[in-house]
Amino acid sequence: MAGLELLSDQGYRLDGRKASELRKVQARMGVFAQADGSAYLEQGNTKALAVVYGPHEIRGSRSRALHDRAVINCQYSMATFSTAERKRRPHGDRKSTEMSLHLKQTFEAAVMTQLFPRSQIDIYVKILQSDGGNYSVCVNAATLAVIDAGIPMRDYVCACTVGFVDETPLADLCYAEESGRVSSLALALLPRGGQIALLQMDARLHQDHLETLIEAAMTACKGVSKVLDEVVRQHLQEASVLTGE
Amino acid sequence: MKDTPLSNCERDFLLKAIEEKKRLDGRQTYDYRKIKITFGTDYGCCFVDLGKTRVMAQVSCELVAPKENRPNEGVMFFNIELSPMASPAFEQGRQSELSVKLNRQLERCFRNSKCIDTESLCVVSGEKVWQIRVDVHMLNHDGNLMDAASVAAITALCHFRRPDVGIQGDEVTVYSPEERDPIPLSVYHMPISVSFSFFQQGTYLLVDPCEREERVMDGLLMIAMNKHREICSIQSSGGIMLLKEQVMRCSKIASVKVSEITALISKALENDKKARKEGGKFGFAESMPQERITALKKDETSVEMSDVSEKADEIIQKAEVPHQTVPSPVVPVAGVGQIGEDLQHTWGLDDEDDDEEEEHKEDSDEEQDEKNMDVEHEKEIRGCVVEISDSEEEEVIILQAEKPGKTPIKTGSDSHQKGAAAASRKRPNK
Amino acid sequence: MAVDMRLPTLRKTVALQDAAFDRKDLVVPGDVITSDTGFMRGHGTYVDDEKLTASVAGEVQRVDKLICVRPLKTRFNGEVGDVVVGRITEVQQKRWKVETNSRLDSVLLLSSVNLPGGELRRRSAEDELTMREYLQEGDLISAEVQSVFSDGALSLHTRSLKYGKLGQGVLVQLSPSLIKRQKTHFHNLPCGASIILGNNGFVWLYPTPGQQEEEAGGFYTSLEPVSLSDREVISRLRNCLLALAAHKVHLYDTSVLYCYESSLQHQVKDILKPEVMEEIVMLTQQKILEQEG
Repeated sequence: MAGLELLSDQGYRLDGRKASELRKVQARMGVFAQADGSAYLEQGNTKALAVVYGPHEIRGSRSRALHDRAVINCQYSMATFSTAERKRRPHGDRKSTEMSLHLKQTFEAAVMTQLFPRSQIDIYVKILQSDGGNYSVCVNAATLAVIDAGIPMRDYVCACTVGFVDETPLADLCYAEESGRVSSLALALLPRGGQIALLQMDARLHQDHLETLIEAAMTACKGVSKVLDEVVRQHLQEASVLTGE
Repeated sequence: MKDTPLSNCERDFLLKAIEEKKRLDGRQTYDYRKIKITFGTDYGCCFVDLGKTRVMAQVSCELVAPKENRPNEGVMFFNIELSPMASPAFEQGRQSELSVKLNRQLERCFRNSKCIDTESLCVVSGEKVWQIRVDVHMLNHDGNLMDAASVAAITALCHFRRPDVGIQGDEVTVYSPEERDPIPLSVYHMPISVSFSFFQQGTYLLVDPCEREERVMDGLLMIAMNKHREICSIQSSGGIMLLKEQVMRCSKIASVKVSEITALISKALENDKKARKEGGKFGFAESMPQERITALKKDETSVEMSDVSEKADEIIQKAEVPHQTVPSPVVPVAGVGQIGEDLQHTWGLDDEDDDEEEEHKEDSDEEQDEKNMDVEHEKEIRGCVVEISDSEEEEVIILQAEKPGKTPIKTGSDSHQKGAAAASRKRPNK
Repeated sequence: MAVDMRLPTLRKTVALQDAAFDRKDLVVPGDVITSDTGFMRGHGTYVDDEKLTASVAGEVQRVDKLICVRPLKTRFNGEVGDVVVGRITEVQQKRWKVETNSRLDSVLLLSSVNLPGGELRRRSAEDELTMREYLQEGDLISAEVQSVFSDGALSLHTRSLKYGKLGQGVLVQLSPSLIKRQKTHFHNLPCGASIILGNNGFVWLYPTPGQQEEEAGGFYTSLEPVSLSDREVISRLRNCLLALAAHKVHLYDTSVLYCYESSLQHQVKDILKPEVMEEIVMLTQQKILEQEG
């Protein structure tokens, strides 16, 4: 990977984007008829499908029920064909469990669970094609699915992965950039209040650069939130036309 | 086994105390508990005490084939074991959420930050490399397992010595420690993790939460840094929402703490090196007689004694007049004896009676039976009023039905045998 | 046997008039509805910093001083008096748990059902032990909402002869927001079948019972074979319901009937094809406008 320049002198990245440019986002809500909420989201070449069931009665162990709020159950899995080499274990390994925990933590902060005591909300996300930024794409897709299901949320949850190369923050990393030993920071943000639902960083980064990196991540998330906003409003308008109101 | 739930009043008490910037063990909000590092006999074994949290890390190495996409780099493997020894809430065998979380955090903290030079672990490129395995065992869980685990892991890695290898053409010889001195690993930097716990939706922040504080916290932020002020990993967990300013503030606090802890680790490593060089005794077995292992050992705490006499006088003055004490027992009916202070019937009100008697105690708590016996003996001589000073238990009256008018003997309900022994001892005294 | 296969086609984008873009009453989560503190907060909103903010994506409904946001799709939120069709999931002590497409399973108390034979007496311990003979797991019932518990669970009752265990028929599961609220939800359609439009989105189609026999408290189910003509009518109705639901048309007896009539020219199984669905729904909507206009 030594020969690959992640940021050229003119400021262009491997795929021709500028440092703070996001990949193209395309999304659609309501892709499944039988689920309460569903969404499909593409960010560049990373594709994710999110499905939400709930809130419904807790099935299985009654003991998991919380008397004052809903339990959020997340499952993250990757399709076996999503990576360059066939993935042997799509779910159940440590990384997937960790991702599921992070998703659960993110949505517990944003969804208003106190309105649904003793019930359960299931969020299932599947990565169909993985090209970097898996966690962020999952969060964005799941946000759309939760909105589609009509579950109250404080605000959108937008996520983005940023990296730090040559003193410049790069927004929305792709797979080649992520694997190139770049310090990467994944951030899940509620854009209106600027509140961070999840913050995760790997690899070495000097403390002085932390603030710039977080700032860049927040700007990128706000950009993503604008796109998601458009998608939701479009969907709303289409639906209202159909119902003839 | 499911963890005992925290009672509501305990939770409220903890939260209220945190609001007033007070902690259970008297620390300040940004204070760490006392860290003690000891080493075992082998290279690569170390114990870390963070207050009462106790963790053991062991590093071992093995020659294996390298990964395909990295043929000339060694392999690092981290594993955290949460056994029921540390806490009854941990179940043996099941990979709980906490276990996955800690494992992944430790992996990300050490592996991604390249703290060890993995290329130096290569023996034959593409065929044989060293696999360094770090096993961290939790011995006692009193909060903040992550920090203790990270300190233990990096200290063990710095302490570890791997066997020397010689390559002659195609043959690889591994020399035992007797033949050639083992070589330490090349550690670039020491990442240490610092945990911050948030309460009341992020309004209050504590460093190094103990187990009780962990139960009532809303969320946790873990920042791993090294002493060069490079951040190796940040992870927020729990359903809290942070603000950017909070994260920046935490990183500043973390850098201070990390430099302190790194200094401590370096000192401990040096001490151990000196001890080994001097040929003195060192290691796990050595630390036992000095009681460095006992987890429940408490340091001596000073007690304010200057105004005890005034306080005692005050209490005595304010206390009620003690009830009329009847020296010898009163037997209203055969089979029923009354001895003690009030001669009222208190069959159904045993607790009240006990409380009253406890108020009039002047002895401090003594758990040794011998002293009890002496007190009993003394008081019996005085006026046949027998009191067990630590009587939280129901008092059991053993009556001897054969001889009416005989002294009924009051014993604490700790053990019948002791009571019987006391009885047998007292009878000849009479 | 011929199999119908089709290649994927581009989804038809819904033609939006320009006016649609200016609709101010469509909100998304996080949108501030108003900063005026004089309004009362209803469902789908929350107060953040004295500002009334939406928490779901939908349209704002204002009734005097009450502002609420109704989402497009939601689980069934029952109110007293709603007719529901549900399935028994559990038999517990003195009550049954019924699944009704809502946030929590609904509850049918033993004291809220009619005993077979229609007698009115106190429920004894023996009744409790023989609960399973009346209703088992997997049975379908029609009931009415008696009250709502504090956590949102519904309490049902079948204290009328028209409610009770359902026999032979077809269940169609749709979204609750499509069912229009009406005076009665039990209809005997002139085409030869009967329909129960449950408020919770479950619609039950069944052959019209021949004579109003003694319903025996609603627990007696007839297992006589249903004639072929009845079955065809019911299948056609089911497909029409699915067509209407796909195009988000409100369901009530008239709309279902119009749809049935428009579909008579096609074969039953053709109704599920997308282009046929569109045609039928368009005709239905035209007819509805004519009738109303």
